[in-house]
Amino acid sequence: MRKAILIMAVLALVAPLAACAAPGETPPVKDTVTAGTPQVVEKFITATPGPTAKPKRPNVVRATFGPGDVPTLDPAVAQDTSSITVVEECFVGLTRLDEVTSELHPGMATRWDVSADGKTYTFHLRKDVPWVKYDGAKKAVVKVQDCKGKDRMVTAYDFEYGIVRAVKPETVSPYAYVLNFAIEGAEEFYTGKSTDPATVGVKALDEWTLEVKFLEPAAYNANIIGLWTAMPAPKWVIEGDDCTEARGERWIEAGFYQTFGPFTLKEWIHDSTLTIVRNPFWPGDEWTPQPKVDEVTFSMLDENPAMAEFEAGNLDATGAPSTDIDRIKADPKLSKLLVIAPILCTYFYGFNTKAPVVNDVRVRRALSMAIDRKALVENVLKGGQEPAQWLARPGLAAAPTMNTHPDLGAKFNPAEAKKLLDEYLKEKNTTADKLDIVLMYNTMTTHQQIAEFVQQQWKNNLGINVKLTSQEWKVFLQTTKGKDTPQIYRMGWCLDYPDANNFTREAVASGGSNNPVDENGNPQGGLMWKNDKFEKLVVSAAREQDPKKRVELYAQAEQILCYEDAAIIPLYWYTRVTVTQPWIKRTFAVGGHERYEHWEVLQDK
Amino acid sequence: MARFIVRRLLWMFVVLFVVSLITFVLMHAVPGGPFDTDKPVPDEVMANLNAHYHLDWPLWRQYVQYVYDILVPRLTTQRPTPSLLESYLIDVKIGNVYFRWMNFGPSYASKSRTVNDIFRDQLPVSAQLGVMALAVAVAVGVPMGILAALRQNTIFDYLGMAVAIFGVSVPVIVLGPILVWVFGVTLKWLPPTGWGAKPPYLLGVLPRQVSLDYFKFAAMPAVALGLGSSAVLARLMRASLLQVIREDYIRTARAKGLAEQLVITRHALKNAMIPVATVLGPMFAMLVTGTFVTEQIFGIPGLGKYFITSITNRDYPVIMGTVLLFAVILVLANVAVDIAYAFLDPRIRLS
Repeated sequence: MRKAILIMAVLALVAPLAACAAPGETPPVKDTVTAGTPQVVEKFITATPGPTAKPKRPNVVRATFGPGDVPTLDPAVAQDTSSITVVEECFVGLTRLDEVTSELHPGMATRWDVSADGKTYTFHLRKDVPWVKYDGAKKAVVKVQDCKGKDRMVTAYDFEYGIVRAVKPETVSPYAYVLNFAIEGAEEFYTGKSTDPATVGVKALDEWTLEVKFLEPAAYNANIIGLWTAMPAPKWVIEGDDCTEARGERWIEAGFYQTFGPFTLKEWIHDSTLTIVRNPFWPGDEWTPQPKVDEVTFSMLDENPAMAEFEAGNLDATGAPSTDIDRIKADPKLSKLLVIAPILCTYFYGFNTKAPVVNDVRVRRALSMAIDRKALVENVLKGGQEPAQWLARPGLAAAPTMNTHPDLGAKFNPAEAKKLLDEYLKEKNTTADKLDIVLMYNTMTTHQQIAEFVQQQWKNNLGINVKLTSQEWKVFLQTTKGKDTPQIYRMGWCLDYPDANNFTREAVASGGSNNPVDENGNPQGGLMWKNDKFEKLVVSAAREQDPKKRVELYAQAEQILCYEDAAIIPLYWYTRVTVTQPWIKRTFAVGGHERYEHWEVLQDK
Repeated sequence: MARFIVRRLLWMFVVLFVVSLITFVLMHAVPGGPFDTDKPVPDEVMANLNAHYHLDWPLWRQYVQYVYDILVPRLTTQRPTPSLLESYLIDVKIGNVYFRWMNFGPSYASKSRTVNDIFRDQLPVSAQLGVMALAVAVAVGVPMGILAALRQNTIFDYLGMAVAIFGVSVPVIVLGPILVWVFGVTLKWLPPTGWGAKPPYLLGVLPRQVSLDYFKFAAMPAVALGLGSSAVLARLMRASLLQVIREDYIRTARAKGLAEQLVITRHALKNAMIPVATVLGPMFAMLVTGTFVTEQIFGIPGLGKYFITSITNRDYPVIMGTVLLFAVILVLANVAVDIAYAFLDPRIRLS
């Protein structure tokens, strides 16, 4: 026993040293990336730039994900940014959202017919897309053959299988509910009321025609069927067939992962890097062209190490850490690489409208109007965020914009705020410094800085001393969804799909994420707020077909939410601060899921 | 000796049982669950998730099942379909039978992996780094402490202790980014982040290929991590050696005319190593199972972050797995320390 320990310890120490003694015999580094990829060469050439002629720049993009492993590559199970980014590069849905304009384009379906009642959609698929995988031995992307040796093409049956699989309870898809709400029979199948997959309203009529029955004649049906959750899946890999071994939940590992989109998975070193490689068999179309770059490597790094790698020339694009923004702006070289792009998220505070003091709308409105959001953005956040006046961030379909509605919602007006508060104080016969108000956020430096700024604003503009308190994230989530919701609490909302409905209705309407209700529809936590006029407005806005009328309906709803009832305090609309090397031509995805088929490596820069 | 080790290993199972029970109770006592998010999923989805991972069972049954899955081997004759719920650390085919043993469960957060996958891929990285950091700590700390003690109240002593205090008081979170900035970004001598080896590992721990570049990746994190520990060792070594050289038996050794060098190496140092060996055990366990901050700064795919993120994610199987793993290594390291005592001090008998 003792010997074994000793030998192991000695081995661990000596083995590396022994090999190191003869560096001439060991080939150049192969440790991080597979040998033979041009990337390795690049890594060490850029690390030691010399005066000799510039070598050709490898046609690869080196990007980052946040720290920690990519949770999954299974389209049915994905729910986070990095997973979805890879899935949407490896798969293409029936429809596909433009990552910059949020417009809906054809994807695998070249066209679709809608029935007279607006519920049944018939999708016509393109017939020239084969399933592929990366073959490690051949070091190439290869087409997948069936048991008869014929190329497997992506068919309507694969879509039917993929969508039904997503709503199958055994798949435990956390995102299945989006399909459950939209597709006929999906919820019954998910909850086990029906065990027959044929009862789900998705049916392949033939190899190239897919019929989907929706529950509502909603405008966003075609959007939902293009979501990553509704991607096709390779049944033969997951469940096995005569010539393929079943991989079950393990089908998403490199070498087994079968896809058909512009890229496919080449290598996945868990917790470290993930590489996708160009799929030469993706035929491309106007909106999802064949990629110009050969590979994209994602390093899973925290913001600060990623910034260091970027400055060392080893990364092509990354987010800039907020602590570095001032330095980057002042740096003559880095400042040219800095781009601040909008991202469809909103940062806001919610009121527990049933809690003492803030159950009076005058107090809520006064608090909201007493915050100088411009100063918050310029002095605290510094990332070019936009001061928010309402919830549904401009850029979403049907959301009001600052151009069309400059005076909508909550605006900084300390005098008016003071007047409102004084009215309340006089009625209650008390003074501002005696008001007992708690503001809660989840423990994180940025949230604390914002809360401290807001605290100061309320002190200066209203004379109110607000108490700040914080909770760990999961505890905070429980607190703010239950009866103990504090008077004011921090929240944020990012899009699931780019429509104002996702914000104004799903985030805050009665029964929404921040406004939970019990089974009888009574407020249960969060905002504890219900305004019948607001509810009617958001429902009719969802059903309205005329885009201009929709904007007006949402604008009216937002006016109730942010001003008349002041149930929330919108603070700012998010931006993303990025740095990109000068030789990269790229797009900026508003939803955060980049599309690298639109990126390019320029040789002459 | 053999009896001693067997007895200690039996005690280890008692320790592990107690540790697992306490951890299990504590983690379920903390509010919030693994599937709580700011956009709550509908009740039927939450119910399905909980049912899939047996979180709807009473706690005692969940615990019993957890222990059962680890301890009881499964034997099948049919090749099982890969599954995240049924993933075993030991999975071999003996004759016609598949022998599968020790299932530590799936990860709820990393939805494509199991605790065993995390052990297989991440522990070796942490272990490699930890051993190198420990080597740095010993190589720097012990000689520095010896020198400081032998040349007490000279410039060596003051310099050595100044370095030690610097090492203790400048944490990795400061030293790390400075190293990255100087050697990675400005001089470009070393890669700022990353690790020079990838799975699968030789014997489950060693890198398959070791070249100069492997050490280029390891240099900064090993130094950053090792320096802090070296300071602890240096101060301990100095204090311990100072005490030992005042003992009677050292005076005896000198009186019988033994050369000073032999007095120190053969008599004083051996005894003075005992307190150092005592801290080396836990230090080894700490370094080898990974360190959150160092891994984060240098972008190292180690195990350290799972100790932290599993708790914030309420990723129950990963919490249990990492805690138990740490407990095993700590117990084993302490057994090794006890064995070392017997060598360092002939008066100590293990039986």
